[in-house]
Formats: sequence, C-alpha cells, structure tokens
Amino acid sequence: MVRLKNHPILDFPTGREVVFTFNGKDIKGIEGEPIAAALHAAGVRVLRHSPTLGRARGFFCAIGTCSSCLMTVDGVPNVRVCTEPLKQGMIVETQKGHGHLPIE
Amino acid sequence: MAGREKTADDNIVICRCEDITLQEIRDLIAQGYHTIDEIKRVSRAGMGPCQGRTCRQLIARELAAALGAPIEQVEMPTFRPPSRPVLLSTIARGEADE
Amino acid sequence: MRETDIAVIGAGPAGLAAALACGESGATTLLVDFMDAPGGQLIKQTHKFFGSERQFAGTRGIQIPDIIMDQLSKMPNVALMWGTNASGYYADSGVLTLEDGARFIKAKAKRVIIATGAAEKPLAFENNDLPGVYGAGAVQTLMNVHGVKPGDRVLMVGSGNIGLIVSYQLIQAHVEVVALVEAAGRIGGYLVHAAKLRRAGVPILTSHTVVRALGEETVRAAVVAEVDQSWQVKPGSEREVACDVICLAVGLTPLVDMMWQAGCEMKYVPALGGHVPVRDENMRASNPAVYVAGDAGGVEEASSAMISGEIAGISAARSLGFEVKEADARLAQLKADLAAIRSGPTGEKICAGIKCATVCGGEW
Repeated sequence: MVRLKNHPILDFPTGREVVFTFNGKDIKGIEGEPIAAALHAAGVRVLRHSPTLGRARGFFCAIGTCSSCLMTVDGVPNVRVCTEPLKQGMIVETQKGHGHLPIE
Repeated sequence: MAGREKTADDNIVICRCEDITLQEIRDLIAQGYHTIDEIKRVSRAGMGPCQGRTCRQLIARELAAALGAPIEQVEMPTFRPPSRPVLLSTIARGEADE
Repeated sequence: MRETDIAVIGAGPAGLAAALACGESGATTLLVDFMDAPGGQLIKQTHKFFGSERQFAGTRGIQIPDIIMDQLSKMPNVALMWGTNASGYYADSGVLTLEDGARFIKAKAKRVIIATGAAEKPLAFENNDLPGVYGAGAVQTLMNVHGVKPGDRVLMVGSGNIGLIVSYQLIQAHVEVVALVEAAGRIGGYLVHAAKLRRAGVPILTSHTVVRALGEETVRAAVVAEVDQSWQVKPGSEREVACDVICLAVGLTPLVDMMWQAGCEMKYVPALGGHVPVRDENMRASNPAVYVAGDAGGVEEASSAMISGEIAGISAARSLGFEVKEADARLAQLKADLAAIRSGPTGEKICAGIKCATVCGGEW
C-alpha cells in the first residue's frame, strides 16, 4: 500500500472513494485528489510517452508548470493530471503524440 | 544526425516539452546559433507548454560554456503572455462581463 | 474589466503578507493564485519555523495560511481568486489577464505586487526525464499534501535545506533515503537538519553527483560518481545505487516571467538564484507600478518572504496615498527583522546578492 497512514505530523483528508478508468482498467482513487496522485497510489508511474522521441514520462513538477504529465481525460488531450481533480467515472488515457481534439 | 553514433548527450533531455536533447543544443551552437532566441526559433526549445521554465537555464549555461562568456551576458529571450497554458476556448469565449 | 488599487499575484507566504498589509490600508486588493487554495509552498512545510514571533516562530508552516486567511477574509476591500492563472501583464495599460479555466478576466491594477515564488532548477544528466526522477517540490506535494508515498527507495540530489528537509520528511513517511549526493565539497543547508539525517543513518556523499538514471520505463537505479573541484566526474568513480526515485533538490530560481513582461530592469544574480528585478529597499521595481515580494525577488525562505511581502504591501499602499498605521516604524522593524534573518554564512551570500540587485542609494 503506498498511501501514507500514521504520519507523525499530518492527517490526510479521507475523501469519498471513486472509480475511474486508466487505459480501460478500473482504478480506485479519492475524489478531488489530482488524477496523478491516484495513479501513483495505484502504482502507475508512466503517464505518457514524449511526442517525438517516444521517451517515457511521468509525474515531475506536481504544480502544472511542466509538460511531463499531459494525458487525455474524458477525450480531451493535454490535461495536466498533476493538478486536475479526480472525479467519479473519469476516463483517463495515455496520450499519443500531441493528442487529438475531439470534434463535436 | 543520421549515421552518427548515439552519445550520452542524446539521452540528456534539455527541453522536455519539445523533446530537445543536449546533443541537439550542442549541434545547433556549433552551427552558429548563439542566442537562446535563435535556438528557440530553429528548434522550438522553450516554445512548449512550460514556456522555457526548464530548458532556458540549461541552454543559457550551454551557451555560456561554449562561448566562454559568463551567464549574465547570455541574452534572455522575449517573454510574452500567456506565461501559463490557457485553453483557446477560454479566450474565444471572451471576457466574463463583456 | 475589473479594477483594483493593488493586485497581488501569488498567495504564498509573500503574497499573503503583502495582501494583508494592503488590506489593512484600505486599498482595494485582489489576491490571485493558480492553486485552488492559498499558502503556496507553506502547505508542504510541516516543520516549525525559527526566527521571531512576528514571523510565526514555533508555528508549523502548514498552519500559517489559515492564520492569515482568517484576517483577510474579514476585509471587505480584499477580493480572493483561487484556481486562477495570471497569464500576462501588459505594462502599457497596467492590465493583467487572468483565467480560471472557464472565464477570461481582465483586471486593471494601479499597482501590482508580484509574488510568484520560484521554480525548481533543472539538472542535466542521462535519462533525466525517466519517470521516477522527480523535483523535490513534487515529492513533497505527493507525500505531504496528497498522502501518497513517492516510492520505496529515494536517492536525494542536493544538500541545501530543501534536500535535507525533504529527506527527513521521507524518513518520517517511512520511505528509505538510500543516500544524499551533493556536488559541492560541503553540505549546503543547516547542519542541524543534516545531523538529523546522519542520526537516521543516511549516507551524505559530498563531492558526488548523479550521472545517469537507469531503467526502461521507470527508475530502477542511479549511477552516482565523485566529482572534482570543477565539477567534472572522476573517471572510475561511478557506481550504481538501487532506487526507484531520484529526487532533485538542486536549488530554485525566481519565477519572473511577469517582471520581464512588465519591462522591469533585470539582473542576473547567482546568489539569488538567477535573474531578479532590480528593486529599491521598499521592493519597488524599475517599472514604478510593479513591486516584487518573496522568492520572485531572490530565493530565500518563507520567513523572509513574509517580511518582504509586508514591506511591498505597505509601500505599494502608501504610494497610492493610503494611510498605513505607523508605517515608518513598521518598515524599520521589518528591515531589521530581515537583517537578523540574513545573518550567518548563508545570509552573507544573500546580503551580497540583495545589494547587487538593489538600486544605488536604496531608492528610485
């Protein structure tokens, strides 16, 4: 288990447990936490492959200032999952290249 | 690049957003691109979502080393809004109270 | 378009203190932060602060935002906007562009206090982009804010206070810190923090750096090596250390995009972390509508950020004719507090940097 318990100083908020999918697989997380935190807690480290060189990329800055964690969420590409709050039923996918805009 | 053997510098990523390696930066400097703005325009290093927050300093350091000048003499690129990514739809929708 | 007397960009320790001073003066104040809650880096700082009571000595960093917010929320002249990016400043009109993902807002401010903080410095080594190579701030966020373990075995890179404190916080979270490497010949941060790590059995390797991350898709090990005085790797000194996280704590650099946009005179000052705006003693930049506060004006720590924020707030309000109670006495006290914080060997370096970045004679 990679969620911290019994921390000497901090108490972590225990929100509602929600289910979302990562590349089609069901994963549980806590509502409102960043998507990347939920993925990390579930052992998912590789969030994307870089657009040109195809290098694996993961969580990096945690504050939405870099491009390391861009993923496709509910069909929308280039979502910074290190800051995007998790919601029940979200569809999170690894992004290919620069991503494709959903045409409505 | 073609035919050249892969070096350690090919695995050192300078600009994460645009996938630019240290080898590419060094090649560009050797070709005569001697300011951050020139390197930015020819390679896109610094034009991605993070707007150069990671690569700018690393490129400045490389330029300073290659040109034998202190970093403060490396000219900084132009800084333009938006400095953080904004959805086009947000801008297109216009100002809230208009 | 919104209008305000003073806009404060960033609600970390500097921005909160600045907004509080502006609010007290009666100036209409708009405090903006891109995070969903105020506090900036304070929300990760589980340790108790040193210094004087005026700067919350004995209080844990994580408790400070609530204390200040309690006062700010009672001020009708202070507006708060969280989850809002300040994406641009147009110096010719004094207009800021703000967006919160849904709305695009223009705000015209007579004065802008830029308290945008600092960003982590990058490090160039092989496979520096491999998942598992994390910034120290990211490790702190994951662990202290979201309660998620960043990994099982961490190699810490950098022995400044951030590297030392985050290492200790990792140990508190039952994560093994396999070693701490520092390229310089000696430890950069406070020895009191380093001593805690030593007692916990963490090897601190000075004159060492990370040269390579190993692993296919995620970090499985790091190659560390000894460096000489010119920071070149000593041949044959490379060795492999098993770890799943390489945590980078190699320093911070001021986030100054907005000050470049404002056309402020900038100066490269290594002791302050990089390019900083030239300012006067009251934190005013060369663009007279712009003030700087906190790490954006030079990387220090939260206590000095709160002081420079208060100085900037008082000065900006005063420049618009707002009455600040006992302003001169307060400014004198704040400057004395800053001088006290900046004593000691690290402080000496900072003082020299500040002197470099301060306009001759202390006032524009």
